[in-house]
Amino acid sequence: MSDATGTTDAAEAPEAEEAPTDDARQAVLDQITAALGDAVLDSHIAVGRGLWVRVERDAWLEAAGHVRNGLGYHFFDYLSAIDWMPSPWGRYEYSAVDDGIRQFDPNAPVETGVAGGDTRFQVMCRLADIRRRQPHHNVVIKADLPDDDLRVASLVSLYPGANWHERECWEMFGITFDGHPGLRHLYLPGEFEGHPLRKDFPLLARLVKPWPGIVDVEPMPGEPAAEGDGEETEESS
Amino acid sequence: MGLVESSKLPKPLTSLLNTARKYSLWAYQWGLACCAIEMGAAFASPRYDVMRLGVIPLPASPRQADVVVISGTVTDKMVPAIKRLYEQMPDPKYVISMGSCTNCGGPYWDSYSVTKGVDQVVPVDVYIPGCPPRPEALLEGIVLLQQRIGREDMAERWRGDPLVVQ
Repeated sequence: MSDATGTTDAAEAPEAEEAPTDDARQAVLDQITAALGDAVLDSHIAVGRGLWVRVERDAWLEAAGHVRNGLGYHFFDYLSAIDWMPSPWGRYEYSAVDDGIRQFDPNAPVETGVAGGDTRFQVMCRLADIRRRQPHHNVVIKADLPDDDLRVASLVSLYPGANWHERECWEMFGITFDGHPGLRHLYLPGEFEGHPLRKDFPLLARLVKPWPGIVDVEPMPGEPAAEGDGEETEESS
Repeated sequence: MGLVESSKLPKPLTSLLNTARKYSLWAYQWGLACCAIEMGAAFASPRYDVMRLGVIPLPASPRQADVVVISGTVTDKMVPAIKRLYEQMPDPKYVISMGSCTNCGGPYWDSYSVTKGVDQVVPVDVYIPGCPPRPEALLEGIVLLQQRIGREDMAERWRGDPLVVQ
């Protein structure tokens, strides 16, 4: 904005800056930070929607314990993990053909989500306080896991419902949960090898026949047939 | 069935036997995914009324069944159960593979967990394409299976080696 319009915008600007604050979630974040101290690495508040807190791996159990017993978030929603590595098999939904294998750059910078991240694997869980209806309070706790030591404390002692989530996370990502009462396969057959939700898990069918992309795009109703259709088919053929 | 095994079955008797068999098919329902909804519509609803084709869709056990309709996404973890189901069925037994997933993996052609076609596990008599197929398609598949049964030489089938799944 130039100075000429600054006078008219001056009245609106404070409102625009005040709007994206969330006192309730900021208070929760302050309480977590006060309890954990330096173990809180990063955080993110989406106004009116959610709170993300990234903690040290060693403080994983402590953070969940404080959120549950100190703040009263008794509802365990889910636990999962994220593999932030760009997929070497490169399936892009809207690409005409699958060129991911050729374009894959192992040294490409890794983009992480909200609250940041330092490592390839991130374990996350969402805890909610279902007694407060408006707004529906929840907090997502994240922790980075180093590649050479994929293990983190189990939450089963706090939330019994975490049992199956951790079993699934263990078999899909290869993350070990210390203190879990019985890490064994949940979905996969017992003799399955590998961790299929890791980005570098090879899909053998893809190696034989690459992802064809969207080959038969139909125009939306009301739209004229796109001029690029002919070009796309020429490229993909 | 000593008469059949003696391989001297006269043709009219074969025809009679096949007609009797094809109009009293006990169909076991092996619904695994969304195709099972269409199978339920075909088998259990008065609109399509599969019993007019002589199909009885509700056997109490695979040991009473003549045909099994495998409908839905077959995963590698489900394969041992399907093998066991097939081995429990008394011969002569037939398999209808319903839907793209069961035929070839369908939209899960590159999945780590989905079996790319149930015919890798058990022999399939009729494939029904579609994602999912309409109930009419399943009815046509049953009719095709009945035509096939009608042309069968029972004696030959009985004399042959029993079908064993590897």
